[in-house]
Amino acid sequence: MVPLARRNLLSEKARFAMSIAGVAFAVLLILIVVSLYRGWSNVGRFYTQLPGDVWVAQPGTSDPFHSTSFLPLADAQRLTKVDGVRTVIPVYARHIAFGAPGHELDVFAMALDVPPTVRLRPDTYEPRSGTIDIDRMLASQAHVGIGDSLRVLGRPLVVASIHSGGNSIFQTAFLNAADARALFGIDDFTNFLLVSVAPGARVATVTAALHQALPGTETHTSEQFATSFADRVNAGFLAVVGVLVGIGFVVGGAVIALTTYTATVERAREFGVLKAIGASGTFLYRVVIRQSLIVGMLGAALGVASAVAATRLIRYGVPEFITVLRPLDAAGVFAVAILMAIAASYVPVRRIDRIDPAEVFRA
Amino acid sequence: MNPPLLEVERVSKEFGSGPTLVRAVADVSFTTDPGEVTLIIGPSGSGKTTLLSMVGGILRPTSGRVVVNGIDITSLKRRELPRVRRELVGFVFQTFNLLESLSALENVEIALNIAGVTGQVARERARALLCEAGLEQRLHFSAQALSAGERQRVALARALANEPRLLLADEPTANLDSEAGRDVMALLRGLTESRGHAAVVVSHDPRLREVADRVLRLADGRLASTESDGRTALLEAVASSPMAREGADSLRRVARAVRRSRLRW
Repeated sequence: MVPLARRNLLSEKARFAMSIAGVAFAVLLILIVVSLYRGWSNVGRFYTQLPGDVWVAQPGTSDPFHSTSFLPLADAQRLTKVDGVRTVIPVYARHIAFGAPGHELDVFAMALDVPPTVRLRPDTYEPRSGTIDIDRMLASQAHVGIGDSLRVLGRPLVVASIHSGGNSIFQTAFLNAADARALFGIDDFTNFLLVSVAPGARVATVTAALHQALPGTETHTSEQFATSFADRVNAGFLAVVGVLVGIGFVVGGAVIALTTYTATVERAREFGVLKAIGASGTFLYRVVIRQSLIVGMLGAALGVASAVAATRLIRYGVPEFITVLRPLDAAGVFAVAILMAIAASYVPVRRIDRIDPAEVFRA
Repeated sequence: MNPPLLEVERVSKEFGSGPTLVRAVADVSFTTDPGEVTLIIGPSGSGKTTLLSMVGGILRPTSGRVVVNGIDITSLKRRELPRVRRELVGFVFQTFNLLESLSALENVEIALNIAGVTGQVARERARALLCEAGLEQRLHFSAQALSAGERQRVALARALANEPRLLLADEPTANLDSEAGRDVMALLRGLTESRGHAAVVVSHDPRLREVADRVLRLADGRLASTESDGRTALLEAVASSPMAREGADSLRRVARAVRRSRLRW
């Protein structure tokens, strides 16, 4: 089969290249927005990395970042006696104003009062008294490194370690539990109790037992907190993401439509010749749709490749923007770009319908 | 006696209506037999191209009938006409109308693709046609890189790609110098005879009479006269008698043999 569609496009190489770049840019924009959205949604996965399975909290708690809770510290002892419970860790968590040289930052500070029997990674979740563990993003924003001093609620704390993570909306710091109680002024209370389920015990069974042991509280798995966090991000950003993605698709579709339409109008006489020598409507439509598909597929492929590169660059260059580019999202955007290319053929196809083959007899 | 390959019966074409009505072709009738070249001459605006468009199934007559190879194309539905154009008719245009982004070979091959012939078969058939047209050294040249004469040869090869029964040529020599024009017409004449199809050539160039079996002169959309170097008048006179048709065929064959030996103007 003569590759007429490809030849038509390649006869104007600059326009062809610009069209592909236009579609690629639209796809890149869409995928960056989607991957940022996925990244924000995934921030709540932080809860699943903490050493526990079930969170006990005051009723009405969504997740520690978005709401607070107060429980008597003595409840921790009561829960350790529940069947199937391996450990109970009192968790102190609140937003604090963080004094950095020259400016103040809002940080989500946590402290885990880890029992001596539980081994955690040293200096990560339980820093020594007088020290603090901060994430990389916070260190960058506060312009501090290990050994520097920071003022937290009026008290100087030395940065003992810097852990990975942190992002533009969610920076974390870990305090020593005793320091947290003193700084937060809650000697006999804690905010949450993080329960680890013993090997072989079922989370649902243990959860039910926790309710019986502490009536008037509610329980959440770490997964539920992660989901709750993601739901809140969705509620805040999904509409914006939807608008941006929609704009991206419209721009991409317009680029394809314009390119195909121009290529069709410029070659209207040649399409007329093909009609005159007997080309069916289907044959001509295929040429036009192929033109659109070539631009759409090459543009989408370039856009996906650029998005993969861009998300890697963002990860290293701008770590506060967490991007998660899922293969399924990339495949979905690619598929929509193809559908968009087919839809963009509609106007040029209508234009072909109007071409009168008798015109080709005009010199 | 075989029936005519082309029968045009009292064909008329009107454009517009009321005070702006223009009658481009009025009540034209003629026939063309297999292997015959019919030349339609006339000044600009005489309706030659309109007549050719109706014969090729591109324009519908306002009245009258066009029968190609026994098929009344004027009674066909609009969506059936492309099939007629790709299977029964081949077109050669004044401005060649090659697809500029394609090579000479691809310009012929695409006509085969349109008819459903693809791949190596299409490529080989296109190559053979171009070789027959003397373009074996130009197969992969882009249409833009060919001379006017070469372009018209490619157009002729394209027109013949699907082995049409009827070849229609609109001013095929108008954009060619006399030598290239002579070459193209010799090629058209030779191919018409060797393949047994019929050709209708529209032109205002009187030199083309030399290669035509029959010459129709159009004036103001009407058939003003029919000439055939004296042969056609005789043939038409005897054609009314079925017994004389065999003899008429013999005369035509003799006339073609004579014309082949003096193909120049």
